[in-house]
Amino acid sequence: MTLRSPANRRHGLFAQLTLQQRFYVVAIVLLLPAVMLRTFTAFYPFLQTAYLSFHRYNPAFDHNGPVFVGLGNFQRMGADPVVQASISFTILFVVGATFAQLTLGLAVAHLLNASFRLRFLSRALVLIPWAVPMAVAALGFRWMFDDQFGIIPDLLRTLAGIEMRWLIDPNNAKLAVIAVAIWKSTPFVALVLLAGLQGIGRDLYEAARVDGANAWTSLFYITIPMLLPILITTGMFMIVWQLAVFDLPFLMTGGGPGFSTTVIAQKIYLESNSLNYGYAASISMVLVGIVAVVGVIGLTLFRRFDVSI
Amino acid sequence: MRKGTLSKAVQSGISRRTFLKGTAGSIAAALAATGPSKLLAQGIFAPKLIRQNNTIVFAIQEFAHPAIQSVLPQFEEDTGLTVQLEGGPVSGNDMLTRYSPAFASGTSPVDLFSDADDSSPTFMRAGWVMPLDEIIPQETWDDFPPSMQDHIRGFLSIDDVPYRIPHEFAVGYFFSRQDWLEERGLAAPTTWEELVEVGKEVSDPDNGVWATTDGLIKPALLYVYVAYLAAQAGGKVFDFDDGTAEALQFLYDMIHTHRIFPEEALNQDYTAQNELYMGDKVWFMRQWPFFQGVAEGNTEWYAPEKLVISLPPAGPAGSKSWIGGWGYSIPTYAPNPDGAKALISYLTSKEVAPELAKQQGFLLTPRNSILEAMSDTDDELIAAMGLYAQNDVFAPRAFHPRVAEAQTVVDDMASLFLTNQSSLSEVLEQGKQLIAALDQ
Repeated sequence: MTLRSPANRRHGLFAQLTLQQRFYVVAIVLLLPAVMLRTFTAFYPFLQTAYLSFHRYNPAFDHNGPVFVGLGNFQRMGADPVVQASISFTILFVVGATFAQLTLGLAVAHLLNASFRLRFLSRALVLIPWAVPMAVAALGFRWMFDDQFGIIPDLLRTLAGIEMRWLIDPNNAKLAVIAVAIWKSTPFVALVLLAGLQGIGRDLYEAARVDGANAWTSLFYITIPMLLPILITTGMFMIVWQLAVFDLPFLMTGGGPGFSTTVIAQKIYLESNSLNYGYAASISMVLVGIVAVVGVIGLTLFRRFDVSI
Repeated sequence: MRKGTLSKAVQSGISRRTFLKGTAGSIAAALAATGPSKLLAQGIFAPKLIRQNNTIVFAIQEFAHPAIQSVLPQFEEDTGLTVQLEGGPVSGNDMLTRYSPAFASGTSPVDLFSDADDSSPTFMRAGWVMPLDEIIPQETWDDFPPSMQDHIRGFLSIDDVPYRIPHEFAVGYFFSRQDWLEERGLAAPTTWEELVEVGKEVSDPDNGVWATTDGLIKPALLYVYVAYLAAQAGGKVFDFDDGTAEALQFLYDMIHTHRIFPEEALNQDYTAQNELYMGDKVWFMRQWPFFQGVAEGNTEWYAPEKLVISLPPAGPAGSKSWIGGWGYSIPTYAPNPDGAKALISYLTSKEVAPELAKQQGFLLTPRNSILEAMSDTDDELIAAMGLYAQNDVFAPRAFHPRVAEAQTVVDDMASLFLTNQSSLSEVLEQGKQLIAALDQ
């Protein structure tokens, strides 16, 4: 059916189109803002980053624009001890923190799912660490872990007789940074898992109990399988989110001692802040590669466990 | 969506025609409101769009605003321009983070700004700040003492053309607890050996009392102290030479061997350092001039004898402390370059600079006009400046074209060594390689 009556024609080109043509025009017009937004905020930056990763470009020194260096930036990364250390700590940070957040989050969710007085208040209080801005948490814990001023070394010394130097020992500094990340994000994971727990019917547990299941077997044969889709979704979210961590280690330790707590994002920041856009872009592409690998694993798991996304 | 469905949607709500007319009308109204001539001339995102041409935006750290504001009425009356003050970044790294994206895209959010040593060389080489040789009168340049002329030529110029004019003269002063020293019949140490000797006598690590300390957290603060010791050892810190090795070993020994310097300083900033000193836990320390104001502000604790400035303990190359600081620059893409040129000339003139220096240590340099104007004051920092000048303490700040990156290398290497992650020879070798990689 067409709409080409004389009355419509006088309104211009749009009126001369068929209804289907108008449908596409309107669709394009409506989609255009979203497409442009994604083009300027995602596609173009990604393509530009990919382009720069094969170039040497520092506007302070390369006045004629980017110089093509092929895989030179990636080769340089192989010999850069800071990049290597940052990749290994980032992976340790993400794996360690995510595993602990899921485990502790599940435990906290169980506690919050129980029936007890002031349950609603407890749920609100548990969320406090999540509500604290990361920069505030990082600076606060820097003081709390300080061996001269901090409450944590003092308590450990006084109550348990443990003498530990936290932020000036490479291994302890890693532990401290990961511990703060766990403290900060476990409440969020717990809240998500709590929502999942509330969706599991009580009758399943009652039937299991009749069959002789104890708390542990119920956990492993009912709770975890039923929560698996949420655990996978939350775990993937935490991994991808924490791969780009920057503020916590940067403000808590400055990436030190040495570069033991330097993360990939901090290295990218330092390079781009020195206007080494080419090298920073190549490290960013490595980060993209890691996220892509994690993403593929996540999608595989999603399909395997039939997670709806 | 099928045609029928679309038609139903159209019939049931707002018509397409009305929707499209409304959208087009809104866009047209928005364009008309912003001013078509400005859009055509400057583009949608240009900051000039919202700024009147008679306004100069000047970014400088907020604590300096009262002093600057005190001299602005005269300037505004003489020129008819209005100066809008904004809080500037507090470090070179912050400076690069905040301004690089704008400068790289050919715009500038400010007309004039106070810039740091760590960021100036980058801005200068990228062509993002203007040469000042023809903007600042020669009599103003001549007003700087020889020690600062070296700094201007070496750090703030390319091919002898200056791109920044200093407004601050930052030097690490050696503060001592004269009251404690007199009580114990001791004198402030004058050499590294004396620092160790006196340090061992006064330190009580088990009770948290230390001979000396500093803020050594990365980024940049560890570099500051290593460069300070390297200057005293006669080393070029970016060369990782013998003098630098001697400085690193001396710092290591103070921390681990003699235990007169807290290891915790490696993760502490200047706030923690100052707290230790004002918490009566430290006998002597190197600190920037701002500490004088911080200590005097702590009226419950402060007494002049608690904060006596003496010469830095001399290393193999003598009693040295490197100088640096902040200065004014004009972005190449300043929206109001003429206003910025007028303002920078005014603020640095021989008449106005002394007025600013009297009010704020951040605006104090040993310029002849300033020293003359302040000769009758009993300002501790002026006296210390004179003492250091007489004893040839001032050493030029170590220069590298990629200074921020070079400083990071020193930070990393020193931290690896001082936390026992690498040996001295390893960090010297690796440091040289990393610095060499910067030059490629």
